[in-house]
Amino acid sequence: MQEAYKLSILHYLAFSILLIVSAVMLFEHKIGFSPNSVLEYYIGNEEKFIPSQSAGGILKIVLPHIFVFGLLAMVLLHFLVFTKLRYKRSLLLLIYATFGTALLEIFAPLMIIGGFEFFAYIKLFSFFALLVLILFISWLLFRVITQK
Amino acid sequence: MKFTVIKNLQKDSAMSLILKGFLLFILLYIFSDIFVMKSNFGISTQTVTTTLLGDEDAYIDPMNEASFLEFWHAQIFFVMMILLTLSSIFIRVAKRSRAILTNILMISAILSLISLPLAFYFSSFFINIYLFGYFAWHLVAIYMIFYSFWKLNARSV
Repeated sequence: MQEAYKLSILHYLAFSILLIVSAVMLFEHKIGFSPNSVLEYYIGNEEKFIPSQSAGGILKIVLPHIFVFGLLAMVLLHFLVFTKLRYKRSLLLLIYATFGTALLEIFAPLMIIGGFEFFAYIKLFSFFALLVLILFISWLLFRVITQK
Repeated sequence: MKFTVIKNLQKDSAMSLILKGFLLFILLYIFSDIFVMKSNFGISTQTVTTTLLGDEDAYIDPMNEASFLEFWHAQIFFVMMILLTLSSIFIRVAKRSRAILTNILMISAILSLISLPLAFYFSSFFINIYLFGYFAWHLVAIYMIFYSFWKLNARSV
């Protein structure tokens, strides 16, 4: 890989971390990190005057995220294909895990409003798992790029 | 990203045309972004301060936190994708100064995006840094686009 491309990827990793920071802040501000707050956000709470979310409202948020998660995962993961890690079996597991958790994160809210309340835990788990996976891929890329 | 491994882009007329079309769209995005930001968010210290922090004299409320975080989150994604693709094309066609210009482009964009929450949560001083970074990356991006156009029309790349 050319040095200039490595530079470009390093900056991309910095942007990815910034994106994760903004996602955590947004999640914390709008939803909260406890299973109860996730449930309240999606199915509402009359005592606290929190309205429930409709399927249409959730889809409005989900729609751009389907594209963004797919693109972000594809771009980050395809950089790994240019490295020696390409020949490791664990890369396949990483690819499955990344796209799998992204799918769970996106569609868990629809399950919550469909009456499956335990998906509040899955929503939280998949959110953090996806962030950890993105950070892990970024770290792998950083290590490969910076080692001589 | 196939274009990064093609040996002679000029000979590959289809790929060259695709890249020129893509560069045109990035250019359109960058100019449109300036106009949209001018009307919705502000591109001067005064207007950005009013949008973010409000203005008591003019009875303008500050931006609410949820809207700000959504705006910031979306900005980061768009900027990162646009700059990654633009820098990939520029690196492919440019011979000299590509590392320096890529650094300036990316660092100024990151600087502007980091300054935005600092301005919202801590001090309006960061609005100046945000604007400096914002205009710096736009100018460098415009230069990169025109340079890449020129190189794609040159004899060989």
